[in-house]
Amino acid sequence: MSNISQERLAPGTTVPGLLGCGLRLPDATCLSYSFDEAYSREHWEQILNQLADMMTLLNGQGLAPRRLTWTFEQGQIFLIPRPDGALLALAAQPNTEASENVDELAEEFFSLNPPN
Amino acid sequence: MNAPAKQYQILFVDDDPDFLAMIQDFFATLGEKIWQIHCATSADQALERLKARKTDLVVTDVNMPMLDGIQFLHILNRSHPDLKKAVITANATEEKRSACLAEGAELFIEKPRSPEGLKSIFIMLEELITWTPQEGFQGVLRRVGLQDVIQMECLGRTSSILEIHNLQLRGRIYIEDGRIIHAQTGGTTGEAAFYKLLALPSGEFQLQPFEPPPERTIEGQWEFLLMEAARVRDETAAEAAATGAAPPREPTPTDEPAAAVPECGTRVEETLICSGAGDPLYVGQCPDRPARVALLQDLAQRAAFISQLIPLGNFDRLEIQLAGSRAVAQTGADRMVFVRVSSPKGNLSTRLP
Repeated sequence: MSNISQERLAPGTTVPGLLGCGLRLPDATCLSYSFDEAYSREHWEQILNQLADMMTLLNGQGLAPRRLTWTFEQGQIFLIPRPDGALLALAAQPNTEASENVDELAEEFFSLNPPN
Repeated sequence: MNAPAKQYQILFVDDDPDFLAMIQDFFATLGEKIWQIHCATSADQALERLKARKTDLVVTDVNMPMLDGIQFLHILNRSHPDLKKAVITANATEEKRSACLAEGAELFIEKPRSPEGLKSIFIMLEELITWTPQEGFQGVLRRVGLQDVIQMECLGRTSSILEIHNLQLRGRIYIEDGRIIHAQTGGTTGEAAFYKLLALPSGEFQLQPFEPPPERTIEGQWEFLLMEAARVRDETAAEAAATGAAPPREPTPTDEPAAAVPECGTRVEETLICSGAGDPLYVGQCPDRPARVALLQDLAQRAAFISQLIPLGNFDRLEIQLAGSRAVAQTGADRMVFVRVSSPKGNLSTRLP
């Protein structure tokens, strides 16, 4: 089984509509991969921290999400937690192959080991 | 040459062998060669028969030893979700009716006391067995109020027509992309018709596919329309109480299977609508209102921060998928909304752990 790494985050093929993806590991380390220059690594880190804080807040209110979908005018951010606390965030344009196949895109995330 | 008529396999379950014999005798004649009638004297015998043979309709009694009809329906609902189910009982109380319908029965009928009664039942069962869901509809909506359905349609930004009727009145509410755009009842249209329909003391409703209305008469936000409808309804109730009339009861979905939404058994569990400053405008079964208001305010701040970082435009909503339910949170300058809806099948993101 592969480990989570910066290289593993890059999808093998370009998925239409996928703007970028980010991972936040249980130790708060952030990894990211972007298809759009507007999504810099620094931006991803800030976004992932915001999303992780919201996840904590929701858990504190008895709402333990399996998935969060943040919908904006021109895009969506999908946040998927793993039982070990790792979080996968995918940013996609709405009504695209990427936004409609989040489950498939997230499949590998659940099979990866934490980094060594 | 005409194709042979489809034969329907119908299983009657009753611990009274005399009743089963009568049914077999009477319905075999009425159903001619189209109804293939099978009988079981207990639920476990019926389950065995269902395993052995594809069945189109199960008609069960309620009061049976060991496993009663309601428990039997509960099992069937899980093991054979597409199977049509009807109940015939000598003890047709409102409590049992509600329980049976909640467990997936499409029909609940009192045991007949005459051959005419048996014939009526035959017609009802025949109607049920030949009924097929309309295109675009799955499942059956039960135990959900009219306001809940409107909320779900608006939050889901779907388009549909809500047909509402009782003995005195018939009307329609048009919802397009989550906006209430038109209502009509009798000679009344617009908001007046909307409030009139939502203030009905009792009745039935069905959700129909959307078609453009003859005119657009409503422009207001759905949250405020519902709040105003609740106020009108309360006033009507107060007037009814003052005059000694029965208090209003919200229309419920018809027992006809045509009323349907995507998820069977979906129910609004929690609703909070508040101003942009966090002042509650409408609260429905919200166990911890201050916490939810704080959540919405926090969400608004984080969403604004994210939309400043990356070019996604303004924030619209956050959808929260939970085990067995889902929630939607919306934040805006003038109002914030939190709604949680149960989805017992947990069909959202089922592929994820």
